[in-house]
Amino acid sequence: MTDATFVQLLDLACGAFLLTAVLVLWRRELAAIVWLFALQGIALTALIVVLGARQGDVELILIGLGVGALRAGLLPYLMRRALVAGGGGRETQPLVNVATSLLVAAVLAMLAYALSQPLVRLSPTPATQAVPVALTVLLIGFFLLVTRRRALSQLVGFLLMDNAITAAAFLTTSGVPLVVELGISLDVLLAVLVLQVLTTRMRAAFGGTDLDELRELHD
Amino acid sequence: MVTGALGTGLQVIAVALGSPLLVGVMRQVRARLEGRAGPGIGQPWRDLRKLLRKEPIAAHGTGWPFRAAPLLVAGTALVVAAVVPLVTTVSPLDGVADLFAVTALLALGSVALALGALDTGTAFGGMGASREMAVLALVEPTILVSVFALSIRVGSTSLGQIVTATVEDPLAVVSPASVLAAVALAIVTIAETGRIPVDNPATHLELTMIHEAMVLEYAGPDLALVEWASAMRLSIFLGLLSSLFFPVGIATAGAGVLAVLLSVLVLVGKVAILGVLLAAGEVFMAKLRLFRVPELLAGSFLLALLAVAASFFLA
Amino acid sequence: MNLVGTLFVASLSCCALAAAAALTAPAKARLWLAGLCTAAAGACGAAAGVAALAGQSWSAWLPGLLPLAGARLALDPLSGAFVVVTGTVAVCAAIHGIGYCRHGLDGRVFQAVLPVFVASMLLVPAAASVSTFLLAWELMAVSSLLLVLAEHRRNTSVRRAGLWYAVMTHLGLVAILVGLVAFAAGAGGESFAQLREAGLPPAVKTVVFLTTLAGFASKAGIVPLHVWLPRAHPEAPSHVSALMSAAMVNMGAYGVVRVGLDLLHGGPAWWWLLVLAAGAVSALYGILQAAVSSDLKRLLGYSTTENLGLVMVGVGAAGFLAATGIPVLATLALAAALLHVVNHAAFKTTLFLSAGSVLYATGVRDLDALGGLRDRMPYTTALFAAGALCASALPPGNAFVSEWLLLQSLIHAVPGSGVAGAVTMPLAVGMIALSAGLAVATFVKAFGVGFLARPRSAEAGRAEEVPPVMLGGTALAVACCVALAVAPTVVVPALGRAVAVVFPGRDVVSGELTLRLAGVSGVVSPLLIAVALLVSVMAVLVLVRVAATRRARRAARLWDCGAGPMSARMEYTATSFAEPLQRVFDNVLAPESDVDVTPMKESAYLVERVRFHARVPDRIEHRLYDPLIAAAAAVGRRARVLATGSVHRYLGYGFWALAGALVVLVVLW
Repeated sequence: MTDATFVQLLDLACGAFLLTAVLVLWRRELAAIVWLFALQGIALTALIVVLGARQGDVELILIGLGVGALRAGLLPYLMRRALVAGGGGRETQPLVNVATSLLVAAVLAMLAYALSQPLVRLSPTPATQAVPVALTVLLIGFFLLVTRRRALSQLVGFLLMDNAITAAAFLTTSGVPLVVELGISLDVLLAVLVLQVLTTRMRAAFGGTDLDELRELHD
Repeated sequence: MVTGALGTGLQVIAVALGSPLLVGVMRQVRARLEGRAGPGIGQPWRDLRKLLRKEPIAAHGTGWPFRAAPLLVAGTALVVAAVVPLVTTVSPLDGVADLFAVTALLALGSVALALGALDTGTAFGGMGASREMAVLALVEPTILVSVFALSIRVGSTSLGQIVTATVEDPLAVVSPASVLAAVALAIVTIAETGRIPVDNPATHLELTMIHEAMVLEYAGPDLALVEWASAMRLSIFLGLLSSLFFPVGIATAGAGVLAVLLSVLVLVGKVAILGVLLAAGEVFMAKLRLFRVPELLAGSFLLALLAVAASFFLA
Repeated sequence: MNLVGTLFVASLSCCALAAAAALTAPAKARLWLAGLCTAAAGACGAAAGVAALAGQSWSAWLPGLLPLAGARLALDPLSGAFVVVTGTVAVCAAIHGIGYCRHGLDGRVFQAVLPVFVASMLLVPAAASVSTFLLAWELMAVSSLLLVLAEHRRNTSVRRAGLWYAVMTHLGLVAILVGLVAFAAGAGGESFAQLREAGLPPAVKTVVFLTTLAGFASKAGIVPLHVWLPRAHPEAPSHVSALMSAAMVNMGAYGVVRVGLDLLHGGPAWWWLLVLAAGAVSALYGILQAAVSSDLKRLLGYSTTENLGLVMVGVGAAGFLAATGIPVLATLALAAALLHVVNHAAFKTTLFLSAGSVLYATGVRDLDALGGLRDRMPYTTALFAAGALCASALPPGNAFVSEWLLLQSLIHAVPGSGVAGAVTMPLAVGMIALSAGLAVATFVKAFGVGFLARPRSAEAGRAEEVPPVMLGGTALAVACCVALAVAPTVVVPALGRAVAVVFPGRDVVSGELTLRLAGVSGVVSPLLIAVALLVSVMAVLVLVRVAATRRARRAARLWDCGAGPMSARMEYTATSFAEPLQRVFDNVLAPESDVDVTPMKESAYLVERVRFHARVPDRIEHRLYDPLIAAAAAVGRRARVLATGSVHRYLGYGFWALAGALVVLVVLW
């Protein structure tokens, strides 16, 4: 792989990674959000595989494929099941309206860029230069977590953060030990399962998955 | 220089004559996809001919802004058709207007039409003008920031230079910055030319009309001018998109007369393909609620900003 | 004394003459005498400014004029640029005022204060020492306050506006006073030459910059210090509004450039990012308020906030780029800012003067009650149209050129200006673009609703064209707009000499027909665009003549979708025109509306009347100033405990205060 193709492929993967996060913020249909999350998983896989192919590291490629199977396959599958059980739906009334949250995302992107500059300056390779993208997705995920009402879209926000952390780890260190990656992935899976159980119980108790209704437990 | 002038002349003629055909093609594609026979691609020209033969109307209570608006819309469209590099990058008019100026000129056309609509004093005119101006105001940030993104690579907002750089390095288009800017500009094109999902050119339903509400009072030759101008604006936008992101076949410096002629054909082909895609897309889409439009435009602004960011994030 | 000096002194003398004429001349001749003398003063001032811009400099020290320090005056190209603007605006406003003042504004005092105001605005940029500057500044503040209050008998809202203006302008003066006095104390001298040489510690510099910035920004109507502007500008007589909006607010920008860039020689990047951010926010907030405003003059006042915001973006960008080491772009940004000052002055004079003509003819400035002036006041309509075109920053208007230059300076800054630049510039471009788009919508509304279609009220229906002298003043301003629009290739290099006072040794643009940026790539040709538009509109006209039927236009009723005969009640109003934008920016504007339903006496279910009242308050005023004012009022109420009515007690306060001060003196010395 030549330098130019590597950079171009890496940039495209990063662009797709970012774009899917933005689209998650944009769309309201929960089904579309899950679908976009799966696409992001594919972008993440592509990112890791490109890095692996560049370094000729078979293990990295395999990790990438594993990550892909989890993020683009298993997790979306579980979420879709939860969605089907709940009868689909849309994110009706986010705490911050969509147009504003898109503008907030714009500011977050700039913030992420400014924040990650010291990191990039340490070793300015094409891979580290893409760290701001991962950081932006992290912030967007966090923002999603804060402003969305439906449990599923909050879950996606959480998973976006996780994707972003994974991406940042691979971009900065060119690979984390297999054990660590495995541990993280299992944690994530566990979180998703717990949340799935939670949503099912919530629906049984309240008939909806608007998390603001949990406040009733407090009173 | 001579071929440049020739190319400029040809592209003005191509836009002037071809744009009604583009509209015809798009309507035909829609008709076929919706299971209708369709009137054929020459229908817009036949409509124009019919309108030109009708007697001009001076509606009571309207004045010079109402009369001047069609002239100005068509005039700005012609100027833009002359200064943007559609057929050749070495137009003698290249230094006249850069990308900022081109967008401002197109906005001038919209403003003229909005004033013409307000001049009638009808509720529909006011409604159309008000909505058109709201959309125009919200589109502006996306346009300028996308221009910014495109200019970073070249270090200039000159259209000729941007297109030339893309011709020399066609793969540069497959970068995140360029792709994001392309998507943002495509949304802008849809909003500015009043296509679905922002506006429906085929509707006369007051809840949703934007462009059509502005031109309701026009008749005869005035209406012909307005229709012709909006067709020209559509083809200019599509042509510009194709030149900026897919400048294959465009005549560059040192091209001969034959290359220029060939380039006209390529341009017609590219714009027709984009038109068909747009029309096909419209069949599968519903119009957005008017107050969801800002969301779409905020999204396109975010994409444009990310395009700028990506060009130094990932550079 | 050289040419510049002679002209400048002639201009001040004309002002004095005008004031004297206003005080002594009989009522019949007063308006013409005072007006023409003021116009002559403006013309001489403008000529002096042009000569200064051409490179001739002049300075004078008049030791006897002020006690202790004497008055120092100097005109360099930078001052010259602002003197030209003030002078030209004064000419237009004074000529227009001859007609405008016929109804009730022909009093001695008002007519005498106007030339004093003009003189003070000529003196502010010419001042070359701290005391002279502050004196001219205060003269400007007081004279403009008197002019704003001119119509206080007719309208109670004038008094309220005057109060706001008085408080804000004097708080601003205090800030500038503190800053400049600290500067002079640190420098050990008060002439600008000494200040320029002074080497102050950075902390003092920052204090000086921030305090003066607060004062200058409040004069320039920068958010959040703008609250006086949309109140005072509408309430002042229209030609005074033109002077304030097109000339006086510029002094804020002048102050920032003079003190920040010239006397303090720039500074750390964050100063200028602050200026840039304040400017961008002002541009957006100002035009947003203008877009939803239905009072014509209030709309124009908010548009001033927008345009001065854009100027501040240019100034901030210049300082920032100079601090990050890109002098080419710093020069370009400052030139763009100065050009925008000039352009804004030209079109805002046009707009305020034609709004004045409308007010003169109809007595109405509420857009919802205007309309139909196209046939009744054709010349005023045409003049306002020209001004509105320029204000919406579209070609072939003049503001397009300055915004184009500003955008060019911002977009070329990205690779070179580091992280801060890379983050700031795209956001700034986005905000400028949004404000430009909203400006288009705003001025389409102002012109389309205010002048076109049918009259929405009886007053507008009775309007008649204003006297030629008023049209003349406005037409002169339009002529300036046209000249600026087609000949930026002449104007920008001249302003380049003003920029060179701060950033020496660089050209800004080159080219005769096309504007070619020096140092970076960027070409545009406003003249050729205008020509091309003309040619192509002609071509379309010919085409229609050839292709279309030759039948004459037939008069017909408006179709209006087959509805019955149209009445003015069916028209879109300014409020309804702005509704989509108001809805989009609901979160920012926070409009208020209340519905008042009065039921019939017989039954609660039958409605007798429904009143709907909607308004868009200035949110910053609401959130920031109202609590402050309330707090001040609370302190004041509490302080009433001290005032018991006993004279002995009051005298006692004086005595104890004096004694306390003496004790402090004894202890400290």
